Amino acid sequence: MSVADYAAENRLTVSGALVVLLVVAVGVALDLPGSRLLTVGMIQRSFQAAMPIALAAIGGLYAEKSGVFNIGLEGFMIFGALTAAAAAWLISGDAPISQMDLWLAILVAVLFTAVLTVAFAVLTIRYKADQIVAGLAVWFIGLGFGPFGATVLWGGVSSPTLKNVNNVVIPGLVELPVVGRLLFDASPLVMLTVVLTVLAWIVLYRTRYGYWIQAAGENPEALDTAGVNVNRVRYATVIFSGAMAGLAGAVLSVGLSSGFTGTGVTMVNGRGWIAIVAYLFGNYNPIGTFFASLLFGAMDMLQIQLQTIGIALPGSITGLFPYLAVLVVLTLFGYTRVPAAVGEPYETEEE
Amino acid sequence: MLEASVLERFAIAIASTLLALLIGSVIVTATGYDAVTFVSALVYGAVGSSSNVAFTLRQSTMLILTGVAVAVAFRAGVFNIGVQGQFVVGGFATAVTILFLAPVLPGGAVGGVVLMVLGTIAAIVAGGAYAALPGLMKAYAGANEVITTIMLNFIASGVVYFLIDAYLSPEGTSAPNTESFPESVALPGIVFNSGSFSVIGLGVALLAAVVVFVFLNRTSFGYDLVTSGHQESAAAYSGVDADRMIVSTMTISGMVAGLAGAVFAIMILGYYSDPATFPTFGFDAIAVSLLAANNPLAVVPAALLFGGLDAGGQYIGFTLNVPAELVDGVVGLIVLFVAAPELFRMSAKRLGLGGDAE
Repeated sequence: MSVADYAAENRLTVSGALVVLLVVAVGVALDLPGSRLLTVGMIQRSFQAAMPIALAAIGGLYAEKSGVFNIGLEGFMIFGALTAAAAAWLISGDAPISQMDLWLAILVAVLFTAVLTVAFAVLTIRYKADQIVAGLAVWFIGLGFGPFGATVLWGGVSSPTLKNVNNVVIPGLVELPVVGRLLFDASPLVMLTVVLTVLAWIVLYRTRYGYWIQAAGENPEALDTAGVNVNRVRYATVIFSGAMAGLAGAVLSVGLSSGFTGTGVTMVNGRGWIAIVAYLFGNYNPIGTFFASLLFGAMDMLQIQLQTIGIALPGSITGLFPYLAVLVVLTLFGYTRVPAAVGEPYETEEE
Repeated sequence: MLEASVLERFAIAIASTLLALLIGSVIVTATGYDAVTFVSALVYGAVGSSSNVAFTLRQSTMLILTGVAVAVAFRAGVFNIGVQGQFVVGGFATAVTILFLAPVLPGGAVGGVVLMVLGTIAAIVAGGAYAALPGLMKAYAGANEVITTIMLNFIASGVVYFLIDAYLSPEGTSAPNTESFPESVALPGIVFNSGSFSVIGLGVALLAAVVVFVFLNRTSFGYDLVTSGHQESAAAYSGVDADRMIVSTMTISGMVAGLAGAVFAIMILGYYSDPATFPTFGFDAIAVSLLAANNPLAVVPAALLFGGLDAGGQYIGFTLNVPAELVDGVVGLIVLFVAAPELFRMSAKRLGLGGDAE
């Protein structure tokens, strides 16, 4: 490990510790009863709230590792959320929506978002579009066509109340103290997120393809010289990032909620942007990213917890915790060593 | 896009708009509406009657101001995605200033003008200060301004909503609205008989565009701003502090966004309300600025186009039952295509048009 790497790791630890200290300090300052805040239910809800953030973040980190900054995650999440709700509603027809319909809908959302991402990938990779501007455009397109699609289908910017994915309860084991409810009465999507996180770590750091991805972002010329098509690697990661954002959106609309909400900035409500901060904070490591997402998920859930124990902070203020946390993280952590070739289109000599 | 010729930029802007409208029409057809009716209604809604023109100009006024705010930052190499938040905070400062000073100042026309001037100054200061925050965070902590400004948009909306709901809405009302401004605080319509559009507002916007253009192109400070954004090392050799330039850029951009908030509060609303219900001028402004290649003067025609699209979009929402959100999607498509000039260069080359442009 080089000195620079070591410093980066340390900065992560230091700023992570600072964030936790800050949260504790605020808690002490406001005289919050810590034990009543940190309940099993709170942890469970934090994991759930972390899912969409972690899924989108892992996709985003793959794209950025390979040299393409996919700042359109928020937009792709909107498409994923709408598509999943629409698919569940259409697949079930007149019958009530079954659990199978919901899983099919999630699959449709992932595939549809991946197809949309192909256009983004072609524009940024082949036609060298400015990645930041194109990503913003994806957000605007989502903000427009998301509610538009909902209006065409349901006559309003939000869907009617649909169904969501049930928790998997394992009888017996669920009776265990603390871990019982955490592990054996959980949304299968939480499990899926954990599995995907670990898989993403293994692929990135323990397979040849993972090294290609890293090389595409750090030193594309060398990768090209080694006979690997840089842009093909980038297409794969960008499309993967869109698919993951689509999954994240689907998890929001049919996993956690029962349908699509298209009012304001839609139900995605900034989670795609928070996802970008989550993988920066996680230093592009899928596992670190997962824990960063968990931190933001916990911030998000703190408002419910404060309400349940009767601390009267207005919801409009506690709802801002995740955004404030992002600002604190970015200011403390700020500079991340982004892959060297991010943002630069790569052109092979032959073309 | 800095190296492209003026003619080429113009062609790309037109081509992007047409392509986006074409895709919009295809989607309209695919969802079971008639594309020809859609386009003609869009045009009628924008310029078909005197009140439609007034509405277009009203939206354009807001888009010129917010577009200029975005353009200043982009020209200096900083992405200010927080214009919406700075606009919200600016308008709030205007509303608070006017509502708090109105009982102290004498009524009548003079009092009204004083209130509007003070309210506008408050907006410019507040917008500039709110934009300085992400500037400081970028310059001295390396925080990515795209993300910080977006977070600050959410925070501005939430905090302003909370303040209005908790402290500024009159007793006994459930809506999060402040009291109305005194009657003396209003801009006369002059040419158009419209309660929410005044030629004076448009004049302020045009003046702001010219002032910012002159500032960027004819003053040494403006020159430093642009060079430090695009040729940091060259600027550093001539003694320009890049960090300070980032903060200055954001502050100036936010001041213009704050001014937009003042015009919105005084000319359009006449009170202040939940920012979540406001039009997203700060986001559409990004499209306007990009279409104008971040030139403050070119922002004016681009804002007229988008103002027209916006007015037309609302019209089709009312009359054809085609959801007005479609137009927001079309605006997004325009941004997407403007981001990829290479797309048009390559297609033009393939079609044998202007192949020597490379």
